[in-house]
Amino acid sequence: MRMMILIIGGSGSGKSSYAEKTAVSIAQMKTSHKEDMTKYYLATMKVYDEDGHRKIERHRQFRSGKGFLTIEQPTEILRALENMEVGSRTVLLECISNLTANEMFAEAEAKTEMQVTEKVIKDIEILKEKTTHLVVVSNNIFEEAITYDESTMEYINAMGKINRKLAALADKVVEVVVGIPIDIK
Amino acid sequence: MKLVIGGCAQGKLDYVLLKYHLQEDMVCDGMLPDDEKMSENPVIINHFHKWVRQRILDGGCPEEEVLSFLDRYEDCIIISDEIGNGIVPMEAFEREYRERVGRILVRLADRAKEVERVICGIGQKIK
Repeated sequence: MRMMILIIGGSGSGKSSYAEKTAVSIAQMKTSHKEDMTKYYLATMKVYDEDGHRKIERHRQFRSGKGFLTIEQPTEILRALENMEVGSRTVLLECISNLTANEMFAEAEAKTEMQVTEKVIKDIEILKEKTTHLVVVSNNIFEEAITYDESTMEYINAMGKINRKLAALADKVVEVVVGIPIDIK
Repeated sequence: MKLVIGGCAQGKLDYVLLKYHLQEDMVCDGMLPDDEKMSENPVIINHFHKWVRQRILDGGCPEEEVLSFLDRYEDCIIISDEIGNGIVPMEAFEREYRERVGRILVRLADRAKEVERVICGIGQKIK
């Protein structure tokens, strides 16, 4: 059976590490195909500074030895399909907060909340169709008191809508809290 | 060790005092207790996240310090705010603070006998 799993958590919640474990175990689930399942790590983070390099390096070390092929795709995630082999595959997409920000500010003029929401959802719907198992990591950025400037609020609202739609598309939704997975769907 | 987490102002300390029949004088606020205090086991460490923040500012290593504290005194209750569920801040220090608190809590949760998350004063056992 094909599966889509949405994993959500805050900064330092342990969501990435849980998502990797999930992708590894789901890739071992039997499908109608006989061939081995390839695992892809679809990375959306754009590196701006030393901090970003350290973060990427830390995630790389986590994944090493787990057999993921990494494809870096900060925007236009469907292009990653061109770099995947034919056959059954498990894709770990990390993460929606970077993807949404990158898509929003990809061009000189920022996309609106509605445009970016539609774009991200449409791309993930297609990605889901083209993969056997899809694990998507997203952020919980919604629990604080600050009201931000207009463009940040558009981003937050877009993220909220995207998360809700992805949760509806997913077979399973898991929130990771202090490293502990809590099933919410 | 027991770990209690949740958003701010959710009544985490009151929940702990009531549930375990403990008094406020057992509470260490924003710091780890010294050895003297520890004779009166069990002790509550409240606002644990504030201690982590202070140790980072002081150039300490809260990750190692808290684990070595637990090696000596396992019988305690650690209460911490969850601070990682907002927009990732632009300032490097604020980013580092949120991530380090998060990762330390993951390690504490792994080690804890019990983890509870308090929302609206109500405890939800998640481990």
